[in-house]
Amino acid sequence: MNRPSAPHRESDTARGEGSQPSSAGSKIKGLKCRECGRLYPAVAMHICEFCFGPLEVDYDYEAIATRLSRRSIEEGPKSLWRYHELLPVTGAPTVGLNAGMTPLVHAKRLGKLLGLDNLYLKNDTVNHPTLSFKDRVVAVAMTRARELGFDTVACASTGNLANSVSAHAASVGMKCFVFIPHDLEAGKILGNLIYSPTVVAVRGNYDDVNRLCSEIGGEYPWAFVNINIRPYYAEGSKSLAFETAEQLGWRIPDQVVVPIASGSLLTKIKKGFQEFEKLGIVPANPGLRVNGAQAEGCSPVYRAFISGKNHLVPVKPNTIAKSLAIGNPADGFYSLDVVFKSKGAIAAATDPEIVEGMKLLAETEGIFAETAGGVTVASLKKLCEEGRIKRSELTVAYITGNGLKTMEALAGALPEPVSIDASLASFRKNVNPSN
Amino acid sequence: MTQMRLHLSFPEERVREPIVYEICRTFPVVVNIRRADISENSGWMELEMDGELADIERTVVYLRDRGVIVAPLEKSILEG
Repeated sequence: MNRPSAPHRESDTARGEGSQPSSAGSKIKGLKCRECGRLYPAVAMHICEFCFGPLEVDYDYEAIATRLSRRSIEEGPKSLWRYHELLPVTGAPTVGLNAGMTPLVHAKRLGKLLGLDNLYLKNDTVNHPTLSFKDRVVAVAMTRARELGFDTVACASTGNLANSVSAHAASVGMKCFVFIPHDLEAGKILGNLIYSPTVVAVRGNYDDVNRLCSEIGGEYPWAFVNINIRPYYAEGSKSLAFETAEQLGWRIPDQVVVPIASGSLLTKIKKGFQEFEKLGIVPANPGLRVNGAQAEGCSPVYRAFISGKNHLVPVKPNTIAKSLAIGNPADGFYSLDVVFKSKGAIAAATDPEIVEGMKLLAETEGIFAETAGGVTVASLKKLCEEGRIKRSELTVAYITGNGLKTMEALAGALPEPVSIDASLASFRKNVNPSN
Repeated sequence: MTQMRLHLSFPEERVREPIVYEICRTFPVVVNIRRADISENSGWMELEMDGELADIERTVVYLRDRGVIVAPLEKSILEG
């Protein structure tokens, strides 16, 4: 059978090869299949043509080692671009110049409650410009997309990713297409429309949006950040590990707790620590345990973990943690592998536990996280109760998005304000000053 | 003519059925299995499917109606 026009076989134009320099730069050798090791040029493609395995950026670590040091990092900008040497772009960054370098909070009050003396929270609820860790991956993906000659960026999403892609596209004047299911909440659509992208509401469910975007990604010369630009996009997550190590005084923690959606974030945090070790930026910590957190209503990786299997069974998501609701996660197998090999664990939180986790974090540390943060805190609590994290261990939990994005999850979960008349007598009568 | 790359996940109750054989007999599509891992309880398969777009769409609906989870090769790409 002839294949004259194959939507999933990306054309040269769609791969950005038209403006691709002959060498992708001295630090990037190209793309490499994670399964079979086959090599490809550093263009816009994400799947091995031979075995269908995922492609990853292949770095020239020897060349990088000659330039990278703690000092070179410290002299860099106060953003994720201080780790430019280990990010998959060849020139100067052009998009998301202020993303990253978020606070690492020593969570003394939450730690005391959980029985941990050295608990830290990597607080991406204040990332720039859209208050989630997606600002990291989008900054990297769009800088690379522009290097590859794309003038249009796109994504399939239901919230944080669409927000970040739309905002970054607006900041550099790129054309932007965002694909969403048609029945998405009005508030989320408005949050994207303010940046003036083309929002395409697909009449269908999540599966239909998925499949359509995959087809469009192969047919149109657009940079789909989470499809054909995915190898570069995913690398942006490593900056969470780089910042953690630097902010801890150039060391790697003993335990990390990471929310799992596609699984990419967890694997890239591990990779970030490994790269720092490999390049001698930090002393090795072979005892690092990587732990995952999922919402019980969408927990294919957790279920595989507790059954001791490495095969994931896809699920239909049913949880308030929408930003983690990926029923068939692309990097689920790889994240499970990282957890098993590091002797870590995965915990899952029910919807009420997620809300409790959000409240606990806010009440103890003054951080208002979205539902994914609730999943992380609730899972951290379970891991502590199970004795998997010891009191003295240096532990870092990743809080990936701001609570202002998921206010609806708290409906009915918080007490009403105390209502009084505008008189001191009414105040005395109704308010307990010792609270 | 179109080609699609698909990831299929088989639930336990379907894992013993010759579903690929059935779709090739029922629809004018050509299936090329590129990777697979099938056990007695579950399994997945990654394949290329060639045919007219309408026939591929009908095949996808047929598979879903049989309880097979059909996703693009990238699996769930919706994030956040």
